[in-house]
Amino acid sequence: MTSPRQRATVEFILDHLVWFMLAVVLIAFSIFVPNFFQIGIFANIIEASTFVGVMAIGLAIVIIAGHMDLSVESVAALSAMITGILFCSHGIGIGLTLTPEWLVVPVSLLISLAVGAVIGWLNGFFVIKLKMNAFIVTLASYIWVRGLVVAISGGRSAQDLDPDLRFIGIQQVLYIPLMAWIAILCFVVFSFIMSRTPFGRHITLIGGNAVAAFRAGIKVDRLMFISFILAGAIAGLAGWLLAIRTSGATANLGTGMLFNAFAAVVIGGVSLKGGVGKLPGVYAGVLLLSSIHTAINLMGLPAHYTQVILGLLVLAAVLLDTLKLQIRQRFA
Amino acid sequence: MNRLRRFLTASIAMAAMSVFNPAYADGSKGKIFYMVPTLLDEFQTESVSALTKFMGDVGYEVVALNADNKTDVQQSQMDDTILQKPKAIILAAVDFNALAPYIDKARAAGIPVMIFDRQITSTPSDLTSVAGTVEIGHVAGDQIEGLLKAKNGSVKGKVLQVLGDPSDPYTLDIQKGFEEKMAAFPDVKIISLPAMQWEASNAGTIVSDQLVANPDIDLIFVHAAHLAVAAVASLEAKGKKPGDVMLVSSNGAPVGLDLIRKGWENVEVEQPLYAQAAALAMFADKVVNKEEIKPGNYSVLGLDSVMTNEKWGPNIKIPGAAITKENVDEPRFWGNLKAPADKITPVQ
Repeated sequence: MTSPRQRATVEFILDHLVWFMLAVVLIAFSIFVPNFFQIGIFANIIEASTFVGVMAIGLAIVIIAGHMDLSVESVAALSAMITGILFCSHGIGIGLTLTPEWLVVPVSLLISLAVGAVIGWLNGFFVIKLKMNAFIVTLASYIWVRGLVVAISGGRSAQDLDPDLRFIGIQQVLYIPLMAWIAILCFVVFSFIMSRTPFGRHITLIGGNAVAAFRAGIKVDRLMFISFILAGAIAGLAGWLLAIRTSGATANLGTGMLFNAFAAVVIGGVSLKGGVGKLPGVYAGVLLLSSIHTAINLMGLPAHYTQVILGLLVLAAVLLDTLKLQIRQRFA
Repeated sequence: MNRLRRFLTASIAMAAMSVFNPAYADGSKGKIFYMVPTLLDEFQTESVSALTKFMGDVGYEVVALNADNKTDVQQSQMDDTILQKPKAIILAAVDFNALAPYIDKARAAGIPVMIFDRQITSTPSDLTSVAGTVEIGHVAGDQIEGLLKAKNGSVKGKVLQVLGDPSDPYTLDIQKGFEEKMAAFPDVKIISLPAMQWEASNAGTIVSDQLVANPDIDLIFVHAAHLAVAAVASLEAKGKKPGDVMLVSSNGAPVGLDLIRKGWENVEVEQPLYAQAAALAMFADKVVNKEEIKPGNYSVLGLDSVMTNEKWGPNIKIPGAAITKENVDEPRFWGNLKAPADKITPVQ
């Protein structure tokens, strides 16, 4: 027989397991990895989490809604390339200038969000309106959008981003790069939206049981459509940040980030079956992955180990998820 | 009706041009397929343009097939191409070893195979045109030796080497060449880390981490110019100014040349793309007609190149150049994207 207090403790631990994992990993790395324990490294971890983190927000929302979006990486690349082409002064950049100069920030951001939203809308249209399989539709987008990046760039790169945009990549607030603050803000805002607004709660309900949600009067199709558009726009934001970080764009920018984003979402406790998951957990998952990448960089281990560890971590996360379910049933 | 007449007139004019205009005569000798490993980097993209232009000069039409850096895709493309019986195949292999059996297969079908840029020594081919990836590492090593000596008084210091994808033999060869050269200098500490999938932000993260863990890094050597851009972005984000940390890169892409002009990069080790492509065009007739290629010295776009007979066949090696602030604007560097306008003349 367990007391309500014991049960609450167990529930708390289970709900925040990924944060405990992150804490353990950070402590272990701080003790065993030379040069790891310093503010600069922690700032780097947070900074490196920015792009995959932002991308993972949109991906998590679609997965919680019971679908899948494989296109986020390519959408980010397209948005980065368009930002690069418009606002870079070298390579294939056309060096667009605006008056007053600060306008470059909102204008480029809006363009990136719009590019992402358009691709998201297309995904939503095929999945929701034409009832096509989300996996296939977004896989197709993953391919054709990357193809579009190569086509519009001709395989070339854009570099030397407008200094007013680069400012965001260079400026630090409390030792943490401004870009990372943008990612943190995104997590805070979308965590609030997902947990405290009807939109978020309905998305979770739809992911859990779309038929029940429909019978309860929730506009299932409309909300799912919005989740695809959101995922696209957020991926556009990730691309915008990526262009700022690398001061331009190359045709292969962001390659491989989809799998990291997926890993972070799964490690963060989002169920691939839909209806379960919280965005703070996803952020912890991203930080965990980023910590491992950084530790491997510092240890000088061959990078292949990163992939091995990543794969094992995802497997462990899924196992833990199953275990969590069993523990919950035992305490129920 | 008038519109139809105009369309027909235009069509006839176009057809007449295609017969009489010499520009349309390019490709009259047949098709050569170029197996390009990827179009995601500027060297490869420009190689398609250069080969198309130079082979066109000597009468061949180039059809480029992109393997997206996937070995299995390139293998399938080789199979498909062999069935089309082109005059020759130009191969820049994704994986040096995995493509060797396909070279044998093409040659057994009577299709000559020319190797571009990525040397394959495990099986015979009909002509190889390379700068030599190991040699690029050697040139980089020589340059870095000089830079460290100039900075520290002797060849010592800490070098961060950022490789490309660790599954790509191209980057491993450069690493091999570079480390062979640096082996003579025990006071040089080399930290080597790969940027997975040649992705720029991965290189940026490596540089950011290492600048914190090893603030005394003297020089960063990246294996591709597009990675240098991300490295510079990370240096800038850490408050560094041009020249604070020396930077060397390889392949000679336009982005690298721009970084030299801005003072961020010290040396770019160029792969002589135009000359490598021109060499294949110069000998294309001999390869297609299965004539003997004589060893010796040849001038390829003004570069002194050496043709030797190796166990894998005729091999022309064109020297890679070190690009610095002093010579960065010379049009011979492909990074300046000024392809030679003069027609290539076939070697008789």
